[in-house]
Amino acid sequence: MINLRMETSEMATSTSTSIRLPSAPPTVDLREKRIANFLLRDSTLGYIFLAPALLVIVGLVAYPFANAIVMTFQQKTAGAPGYFIGLRNYQELLANETFFRTVFNTAVYTGFGVGLKFCFGLSMALVLNQERRWNNLFRSFLLIPWAIPTVISALNWRWIYDDASGLINNVLVRLNLVSETISWLSDPSLAMMSVIVVVIWQGTPFFTMCFLAGLQAIPKELYEAAEIDGASVLQQFRYITLPRLQPIFLTAIMLSAILTSASIQFVYILTNGGPADRTQIFPTLAYNLALGGAQRLGMGATVSLFFFPLLVVLIVFLTRRMLREREE
Amino acid sequence: MALSMTMQRRAVKGVGNIWLFLMVLWTAIPFYWMVATSLKYDREIYGFDATLIPHQPTLANYVTILYDTPYLLFLRNSIIVAVGSTILSMIIACLGAYAIARLNFPGRALLARGLVFTYLVPTSLLFIPMFAMMSALRLTDSLHGLTIAYLGFDVPFCTWLLMGYFHSIPVELEEAGLVDGCNRIGVLLRIVLPLALPALVVVTFFSFTHAWNEFLYAHVFTSSDRVRTITTGLANFMTEDVFFWGPLMASTVISALPPVLMFLVLQRWVVQGLTLGGVKG
Repeated sequence: MINLRMETSEMATSTSTSIRLPSAPPTVDLREKRIANFLLRDSTLGYIFLAPALLVIVGLVAYPFANAIVMTFQQKTAGAPGYFIGLRNYQELLANETFFRTVFNTAVYTGFGVGLKFCFGLSMALVLNQERRWNNLFRSFLLIPWAIPTVISALNWRWIYDDASGLINNVLVRLNLVSETISWLSDPSLAMMSVIVVVIWQGTPFFTMCFLAGLQAIPKELYEAAEIDGASVLQQFRYITLPRLQPIFLTAIMLSAILTSASIQFVYILTNGGPADRTQIFPTLAYNLALGGAQRLGMGATVSLFFFPLLVVLIVFLTRRMLREREE
Repeated sequence: MALSMTMQRRAVKGVGNIWLFLMVLWTAIPFYWMVATSLKYDREIYGFDATLIPHQPTLANYVTILYDTPYLLFLRNSIIVAVGSTILSMIIACLGAYAIARLNFPGRALLARGLVFTYLVPTSLLFIPMFAMMSALRLTDSLHGLTIAYLGFDVPFCTWLLMGYFHSIPVELEEAGLVDGCNRIGVLLRIVLPLALPALVVVTFFSFTHAWNEFLYAHVFTSSDRVRTITTGLANFMTEDVFFWGPLMASTVISALPPVLMFLVLQRWVVQGLTLGGVKG
C-alpha cells in the first residue's frame, strides 16, 4: 500500500514539473490527503462499508415488510396496483372458520414439532456424548438429515407414506398387520401426525448439534466431584447437566419455534393443507390465498400479518438474547 | 442409591447403545428407501410385486432423470444462483461485519440489533410483498432476480456470524498494520480476512446450502422450467400428476449429495457456526 502511494505522488510531481506549474503539486497532494483522511475516518468508512448491507436489509426485508402492512388494507392482484378497502380483509378472515382452524393447527404443529424435536435432540446429544468406538461416525451420520434440502426430505417421506406402494404400507401389508392400506396423508385424523413425524426426522439434528456443543463445554471435573460425593447418574443429570444446558435450551427452542412455524415446505409437499384443512398452517394458508388460483395478495398478506405478532415476541426476545450472549 | 456406581454406569451405557441403535435405524430407513427406490425398475416399485430390496439393481432411473427431463437445467440453475448469491453476500457481509466490529460510528449498536432481527424474520412473512415487488421490477422468472432475493437472508446472517469472528481477532494486529502504513482496506484484506478464514468457510457453506435448499422464493418467483432451481423443479414434477417415483428418487439422491458432502467435510466448523447463529430448525 505504502509503495503504491509513493509511486503516485512521484508521478504527480514529474507531470507537474513538465507542465511547469510550481504551485500545483502541494495542492494536489493536499487534496489527495484530505480525501484519504476523510475516507479513512472511521465513521465515513463505516457507512461506506455498510451501505450495501443496509441496502439489502432495507430493500429486501424492511421495505417488503412495510409493504405487507399496506397490502392488508388493499385488494390487490399481482402486477396490478391495489386499491384500499379498509379493514375488509381482516373482517373476512376473522369470519372464516378456516382461519381459526389454521391458528389451532399452527399451534399443534409447532408445539408438538418443537417439543418432540427437543426431546429427541437432547437424548441423541446425551447418547452421542458418551464415549464409544466410532462415535464420530455415528455423530456425522445422525446429523445428515439436517443438511438435506427440506424439499427432498418431504418428497422422500411422501413416497414412504404412499397409499399403494409406500414403504410403511408395504411393510404393514407384508407382515399382515393391516387388511387395508392406511392413507397416512389423506386421512383427516392421521395427516397432522404424519407431517409432524417428518418435521421431527429433519429437525432433530439441529437440536442435537446445539446440545452437543453445550454438553462438551461442561467441565468433566464437575461430574468427578459429584461422583465422589456419591451423586447418582440421575442426580448428576438433574443438578449438573440440565442447569448448564438451560441457556442453550431457551435459544434453541425459540429459534426452532420461529423456523418451524414459518416453514412451508413440509406441509406444502406432503398435504398442501389438506385433507379438509386439517394440516393448514399460516404459511400454507397465506400461500394458497395469495398465489393459489385467486391471487388475492392482500388476503395472503393479512394472514401473514396476523401471524407476525406471535412471531415478533419470539424474535425480539431472541434478538436480545443473542446479542447478550455475544457480548459475554 | 442402591446401585453401585459401576452398575449405574453400565446401565447408562447399555441404554445409550440401544437408543443409539434405534436412532441410527430411524435416520437410515428414509435414506435407504430413497436409494433403493432409485435403483429399482417400475415393476419392483409399484403394485403386488413391490419389493423392499432392489432385486435387479438398475441405473435406468438416473438415465431417465438426466436425459428425459429438464433436471440438468434445474441443477445448472441451482448452481448459478447458489454461487452468485454466495459471492455477493460474502463481499457485502465482510465489509458490513468489519464496519460493525471495528469502526466507530454512531448507530453501530442499533445496526447489530437490526441484523439479528432481520435474519430472524422468516421468508414466509415476506414472500407476498416480495412477489409484488419483484413483479413490479420485472425480476420474476429470472435467475438474477432469485439471486438478489436470497441476499435478504444471506447478508444479515453472514454479517452477524462474521462480526463475531472479527471481534475475536486481536485488535493489536490491526493496529500494527495501520502503524506500518496499511490503510483500513489493506488491514481488512491482508490481516483480518486471512485470520478469519475458518469463518469465511462456514459462511460460504451456509449461504451456498441456503440457496441450494431454499424453496419458497424459488417456487413463487419462477414460472418456467428455464429458471427453476432443483427444489421447485422437483416439487413441480410431483404436482404434475404423473408420479414417477423411480426417477424422482434418483433426482433426490443427486440433489442431496452436494450439501451433504459439504456438511460432512466441514462438520466441525459448521457446528461451531451454528452455536453462534443458528439456522433452520
